[in-house]
Amino acid sequence: MTSAPEHSVIPEPAAPAANPFPAWFQAEQAAALADYEATPAPTRRDESWRFASLKALDLSAFVPAPPVASEGRLITASTGLGGDAAARLVFGNDTLLHRDAPALPPGVLVKPLAEAARENEALVREFFMAQPVELGSHKYAQLHRARLGGAGVLVHVPKNVEVALPIELFHWVEGENSSVFPHTLIVLGENAKVTVVDHFRSADGARAFACGINDFHLARGAQLTYVAVQDWSRDTLAFHLNSTVVGRDAQATALLMNFGGGHVRGESLSRLVEPGARSVMLSLNPLDGTRHLDQRTLQDHVATDTFSDLLYRNSLDDRSQVIFAGLIRPGVGAARTDGYQKMENLMLSEDAVAHAMPGLEILTDDVRCTHGATSGGVSADELFYMQARGIPENQGRRLIVAGFFRSLLDRIENDSLREKLGALVASRLEVIR
Amino acid sequence: MSLSIQNLTASIGDQPILKGLNLEIPKGEVHAIMGKNGSGKSTLAKVMAGHPDYTVTGGDVLLDGESLFTLEEPDQRARAGLFLAFQYPMEIPGVTIANFIRAAVQARLPEGEELEATDYYANLYAKMDALKIARTFTSRSVNEGFSGGEKKRCEILQMAMLEPKYCVLDETDSGLDIDALKIVSEGVNAMRSPDRGFLVITHYQRLLDYIVPDKVHVMVDGRIVMTGDKDLALELEAKGYDWVTEDQLATA
Amino acid sequence: MSAPVEETEKPNIDIDRSVGDFRYDVDYAYDAGVGLTEATIDYICDVKQDPEWVREFRKDGYRKFLEKPMPTHWASHDLDNIVFENIRYYLSQGVTPSRTWDDVPEEMKQTFERLGIPEQERKFLAGVEAQFDSEAAYSNIKAAVGEQGVIFVGSTEGLHKHPEIFRKWFGKVIPSSDNKFSALNSAVFSGGSFIYVPPGVKVKHPLQAYFRINAQNFGQFERTLIIADEGSEVMYMEGCTAPKFETATLHSAVVELVALKGAKIQYVTVQNWSPNVFNLVTKRGLAHEDAEIKWIDCNIGSRLTMKYPGVIMKGRRARGEVISIALASDGQHQDTGAKMIHAADDTTSNVVSKSISIGTGIATYRGLVDIPPHRKGCKNNTECDALLINSHSRTDTYPAIVTRGNQNACQHEASVSKVNAEQIFYMQQRGLSEGEAMSLAVNGFVNDLVREFPMEYSVELKRLIDLEMEGSVG
Repeated sequence: MTSAPEHSVIPEPAAPAANPFPAWFQAEQAAALADYEATPAPTRRDESWRFASLKALDLSAFVPAPPVASEGRLITASTGLGGDAAARLVFGNDTLLHRDAPALPPGVLVKPLAEAARENEALVREFFMAQPVELGSHKYAQLHRARLGGAGVLVHVPKNVEVALPIELFHWVEGENSSVFPHTLIVLGENAKVTVVDHFRSADGARAFACGINDFHLARGAQLTYVAVQDWSRDTLAFHLNSTVVGRDAQATALLMNFGGGHVRGESLSRLVEPGARSVMLSLNPLDGTRHLDQRTLQDHVATDTFSDLLYRNSLDDRSQVIFAGLIRPGVGAARTDGYQKMENLMLSEDAVAHAMPGLEILTDDVRCTHGATSGGVSADELFYMQARGIPENQGRRLIVAGFFRSLLDRIENDSLREKLGALVASRLEVIR
Repeated sequence: MSLSIQNLTASIGDQPILKGLNLEIPKGEVHAIMGKNGSGKSTLAKVMAGHPDYTVTGGDVLLDGESLFTLEEPDQRARAGLFLAFQYPMEIPGVTIANFIRAAVQARLPEGEELEATDYYANLYAKMDALKIARTFTSRSVNEGFSGGEKKRCEILQMAMLEPKYCVLDETDSGLDIDALKIVSEGVNAMRSPDRGFLVITHYQRLLDYIVPDKVHVMVDGRIVMTGDKDLALELEAKGYDWVTEDQLATA
Repeated sequence: MSAPVEETEKPNIDIDRSVGDFRYDVDYAYDAGVGLTEATIDYICDVKQDPEWVREFRKDGYRKFLEKPMPTHWASHDLDNIVFENIRYYLSQGVTPSRTWDDVPEEMKQTFERLGIPEQERKFLAGVEAQFDSEAAYSNIKAAVGEQGVIFVGSTEGLHKHPEIFRKWFGKVIPSSDNKFSALNSAVFSGGSFIYVPPGVKVKHPLQAYFRINAQNFGQFERTLIIADEGSEVMYMEGCTAPKFETATLHSAVVELVALKGAKIQYVTVQNWSPNVFNLVTKRGLAHEDAEIKWIDCNIGSRLTMKYPGVIMKGRRARGEVISIALASDGQHQDTGAKMIHAADDTTSNVVSKSISIGTGIATYRGLVDIPPHRKGCKNNTECDALLINSHSRTDTYPAIVTRGNQNACQHEASVSKVNAEQIFYMQQRGLSEGEAMSLAVNGFVNDLVREFPMEYSVELKRLIDLEMEGSVG
């Protein structure tokens, strides 16, 4: 039976980078490591790994990340979407390099998790990795917990506080085969509002291993906009596991953009636990080369009167591959669920491969759920229309791809954020032939 | 100087559609082609523009003396000065009108020359105003969610911005109410000039009340069977296309 | 002859299957006993006088059956409730079917008369095969159709009398190792149809098979192979029923279709199994150049149905289609779908699936669309719509679509909804009862698909849906 390599434990970092967490947290880490080792690696028979390339999950070459060599350069290069930020934290190889918080309203916490585990123990105990990882990567989530070092962040926005400017977090990895374990924990009180942007970057283009987790918790009426700009090197192996719990009348909007990474496994779970909860799940992925993106999602409608809307778009050039497996699951009694799920693949080359598994599991009758999946090349009619206006075929194709992604950004409600993202996407699409 | 269609034959798959079509549109003139559905009018427009579904099996089309068919790609023919206003303009999600037209204008500039953004927008806005297109349309995706009239006005806007030598308007009146028809016609009339030729393809005479043609041609089964002045359109309207067919049979 | 044994317990809502819910006590001449061993297979081979290659084929299937795990890592765990050692694998009165109804043993003849088979045969069929437990009791083809060279016999007769055509395709579309149940069928198959349509022959009227389970604790394993030679056309219809038993009954067929260049095969199924039947069927067709294979499938009844008709489009411009209606009532699970493999350029496939879940019924759609490397011009369109009738009804959709390259197009859409309350109110205001209104709404939901069935079946279908909907409200 084909399965992922069984025991490839990333060793604990050697001193002097001693574990920064308090004892209670370290005890949990030890338990997580034992669980990681006890949990079998994924196999072909696991539905949550269907079509996945398991041999890519070989972790044996990866090593603990050494201290970064180019600290100053990384701090300088940590410009985000452009414009001011409410707070900025820069991590290099899981060590905090820089923090500033010029525009953070009082009461808002943006701090390393290790600090939070000591100073805000109750918060961390309640919310840190509180949701089970049920989309297949439990084993790797345990590895993350066990090896979590300095690159965890807690963002806590208390009740009725709005953070106007985005909070931007930068995670750099440097050195051949370095391993990093970024974590973003966002806890929003009632009616709190914030935008958080994670930037995942490679300092030197070397192969690396990243195993990142996000936990988002939205209390009643809270509003979160989260953006991940994933820019790891083109042969990095990365896990990005997101879980979002949305309370009454709260809204979470998450946009995941994968520009880098060689083999990326993404899991996104949105759990709508109270009436009126809304979750918008977006992903934008221009793929080329031999890059491989494997995304699994769950829209878990627990309460009545909840709404979720997923739109994932990929363009696939060269020999790139994508797997999407999504599930909308209105549970027993989740009446008046409104669930949408759409994934679209724009196929740009002869050798690109797309796997789509859009799923529904409906356990109650009073729902409106639809899903759709399309895969196809650039429309010949659209291309002809472009050419009839004098635009050469290659450029026409590039415009169509850009339009395909741009219209996805229309789902971002914040105008200034949408414009910045549009500019970012446009600049990144120059690479598409 | 003219757009000269010479004994043109073309087919889709094994099905011949154009069967030896001859037509000469001198610069400065507006010609109309009328004909029943299925007579090959739209095929003529698409064949000239270079639509990949059609195969040219014989004849030629000369644009100011140069063969269009030496230019293989549709965009090359467009840049040579041929503009086709589509009967069914495509919707292109996510590509704004401003960016789209800009890319088309840029494609006409010499290598290395960049379009001046201020001039471009000034020109664009002026032409949008003339066509009564709200300026907010610049940031909307091309044709996406447009009404029939909005789509056709957007076609004329592109024509105005690209300043072609020859314009082929394919059923531009279809799906237009009277107000939209007037706006579109005014837009076309404003572009009439001694340096430009027009071929207006239509099913109904109504459009020709607003865009008055110099010549009217009647197309039947892939050929021009009759040519006259603008009064021919009125006669057709009164007597119907069967009259032409019978007439042709009688003289054949 | 014995009198029919009427079921004593008449459940209040289960009028729907009353048509098939009766049985006769039959003294079987041949009985392989209970449970499955190599000896069971030898017994079947001896009774059927199988040639040696068939005996080997069966034993190979048996080994694969033992090796293969239950597919419960993705399928229902209800499969674990099948007790293979409690099942009777072969029961018959003899291996040679009669050519006239007069020669059919009395209790079997009465069974099929109650099911209306001889009447349908007279009215609109080109040929009929009527299987009673393991073997066909009756098999006949209209003289005019036979004279065109069309072969329509049971699988046993097919392999004995036409080995040159039979062996060429048998087990080639669905290898024994395809899944645990195709392996089981390969080990113990009996009955089913063998059809060959010569080049250019268009069979005007449908050929029909009727599969009847009469015995308790029984497993029916028919095996059907249809070969439509170049440019020919044929429609095959199958119906199935069983009486309602307390114990589980297993039906596990394998159906292989081969449409050679330019041929057309339509395969129509209306199953109306009783709720104790595990219906685990493997159906697949191989479509050569310009050929068309269309599965039209209606699944009503059974305890658990698992059936994913497939088409392998092997030749250019081949077409595959699955039209499917599934109705899952209380306690039932309809796990159905489609498999489309685009193995050649310019091939097109279409899947339309509609399901209705009533009470605690579960309807599941599973699909696979695969466009292998370096194909171009392939198109798939899939639509799945599910209707939920009660608050605890359930529906699942699990498609998998694999697209390669930039010159193909796949499109999948699915929706789930409940019956529109306003629509029901409107109909009630016009004087219809809630149940009648619900029936009408459900019939409306599947109406466009019902029209794909031959007329005689679509009328029957509507009636079955009406009956199934009775008692579903409230």
